[in-house]
Amino acid sequence: MSGLEQFQDRNVSQNYYRVKIEPYPKTPWEKFKRVVRKSLKPDLLIGLKITLLEMLRFNIHTIQYPKEKLPVSPRFRGIHRLLRLLESGNERCIGCGLCEKICISNCIRIDTKPDENGRKIPTEYTINFGRCIFCGYCAEVCPELAIVHGQEYEYASEQRAQFAMKEDMLTPLDKLKEQKEYPGFGAPTPAADKLIKKTPLAY
Amino acid sequence: METAFIIETIVKILVVLGLFSALAGFATYVERKVLAFMQRRLGPMHVGPYGILQVLADGIKLFTKEDFIPQGAVRPIFMIAPVITAATAFIAMAAIPMFPEFTIGGYTVRPIISDMNVGLLFVLGVMGIGLYGPLLAGMASGNKWSLLGAARTAIQFLSYEVVTGLSVLAPVMIVGSLSLIDFNNYQAGGVGNWLVWKQPIAFILFLIAGFAETNRTPFDLLEHEAEVISGYATEYSGMRWGLFFIGEYANMFTIGFLVSLIFLGGFNDLWFIPGAIAILLKVFFFIFLFIWARASWPHVRPDQLMWLCWKVLMPIAVVNVVITGIVMMFF
Amino acid sequence: MFEVVAFYLFAALTIVMFVITVTSKNALYAMSSLAAGMIFISAFFFLLDADFLGVVQIIVYSGAVMALYAFAMMFMDTTKEVKENNPPKKIVFFLSGMIALLLVLILLTPIISDKVKALYPMSDEIGNTEAVGIVLFTKYLVPFEVAAIMLLVAMIAGIILASKRMDESITLKIDQEIEQKGAE
Repeated sequence: MSGLEQFQDRNVSQNYYRVKIEPYPKTPWEKFKRVVRKSLKPDLLIGLKITLLEMLRFNIHTIQYPKEKLPVSPRFRGIHRLLRLLESGNERCIGCGLCEKICISNCIRIDTKPDENGRKIPTEYTINFGRCIFCGYCAEVCPELAIVHGQEYEYASEQRAQFAMKEDMLTPLDKLKEQKEYPGFGAPTPAADKLIKKTPLAY
Repeated sequence: METAFIIETIVKILVVLGLFSALAGFATYVERKVLAFMQRRLGPMHVGPYGILQVLADGIKLFTKEDFIPQGAVRPIFMIAPVITAATAFIAMAAIPMFPEFTIGGYTVRPIISDMNVGLLFVLGVMGIGLYGPLLAGMASGNKWSLLGAARTAIQFLSYEVVTGLSVLAPVMIVGSLSLIDFNNYQAGGVGNWLVWKQPIAFILFLIAGFAETNRTPFDLLEHEAEVISGYATEYSGMRWGLFFIGEYANMFTIGFLVSLIFLGGFNDLWFIPGAIAILLKVFFFIFLFIWARASWPHVRPDQLMWLCWKVLMPIAVVNVVITGIVMMFF
Repeated sequence: MFEVVAFYLFAALTIVMFVITVTSKNALYAMSSLAAGMIFISAFFFLLDADFLGVVQIIVYSGAVMALYAFAMMFMDTTKEVKENNPPKKIVFFLSGMIALLLVLILLTPIISDKVKALYPMSDEIGNTEAVGIVLFTKYLVPFEVAAIMLLVAMIAGIILASKRMDESITLKIDQEIEQKGAE
């Protein structure tokens, strides 16, 4: 078997084998022989050799955290982001309130009002991060892919409202080009364009 | 004359005290770095370049931390126990000749505080008293883990003192003196004269017992945190705990000097290396060995410790002494 | 001058330590001061240039008192005071005081009388380790050997007393279970 196939084989018991336990010494002479045999084995020196070689190879695996950071998985569910439409720069959120409804820890609050075109826009969008459990339901349920999870994982702050206001989460207009789609919960699959079909109008 | 002698002695004491306190601090930095490298880590990196000022930061922390004494503890003894460990570690150094004699401005300095003719016994005895520190600390703390640590101290001390004494006996018989300077002079004249070639078994036994007496890793039962929290030091904090620490590292240096002097040619010139640097290299090798062993080996169980001492090391040491005596008698 | 200062300092310290040993009701205080007193006594040997005896005093008594600590650890709570049931009797105080006085008087004789002389005076030619060895293996050979035999007897008796259930190990009981599993 090669590659990933071996993981599909659920019948693991066929690889079991019996560990050979050497018979326990019964007479004092046998015990003595075992002690001598074990003492004269170079096991201790082999242990020393391994650590010394590791030191000489200097194969360091430390990440010096505040200076260096490991890349986060794109599906990581960090602090939320409110996205904008790429072409116009308008907010994607339509104030439908689905996220507010589905939130299981009940931490999202939205205030909406109709704008001059008669469209509903959110005036306030806040998440209480003291209660949010980062389950990802809001991102999954959002029909416009507007509320998503970001990559931010350093949550410590001086104020309770540090990340929670709308202006903190919303992509700034000047950084619109750097805005990235979220590939996690609720996002379209990579092959979504091929799979999608036209909507029949005859309903 | 006498005034000059006393001033010289006081200066030497101050130098040894200051130097080895600083070296003990530096040894903690080296230990953390070497352990880290052996475990593919970097160790302290943030305080100063490559974390070299970490020692200073630790020192500030230890000095400013609250000196906490539990209610159920026996106060005077609880307070004096760490001082015993640190003080005996430095007193033991009084009888160790650190370097060859040298001259400053026509004044010959002998780098030994007290040249007594039983230097070896003195060092071993005073290092033995050093284990009273953990013992008293554990018994005075009023804490079960501390008491277990103290009990382990007692058995470890009583057992391994025997091995130390017996293993050193054979080299003493060969040299015919208890003075460490005589040991050094006996091995003058190159690597071939080192006592380790004549007494390899005694060398290994003494080294093992040295690990036990400084309670370094294979035998660090007194404070093994997986079993007895921190052993005798459970209730200690701040500088009192730091004194235990300094004592342990100073003892490591003492054992390093002892092994170098007794078995590895002491401060005699080695090939082209002058004696003072040669003995420093040897001592630092042994410090490295202590750290190296800590990175490599797991520690033993208490019953294994006793088994190793009484059923393996002590018989070998006695046989070694007997064989040495027979060989000296007939050859 | 320094020797005199050192002598009186260590004399005072030794006496204070032993007084604490006798009067304290706390086992930990008593034993710690005993250990300290024993080590302070070695200072007198060093002052008299008997380095070997001083070091032997340190090594022997630190080990011996350590064994006492082990017993105390097993038998009593050392952080509490011990309640003594039998009140001390006056006759005991009197007799022990008289014995101490007698010892002091005996040891005073070399100062009072000129006729008491040292049999083995200090000599600079041989170190005092050798001097101890010479005395021990010539004049006091028989007592030395008798003491050695007595220690041997005590050691064998101790081993026999302790070894009644020595073949039955608590930690090795697990090994028996492994053995049984291996037999299956």
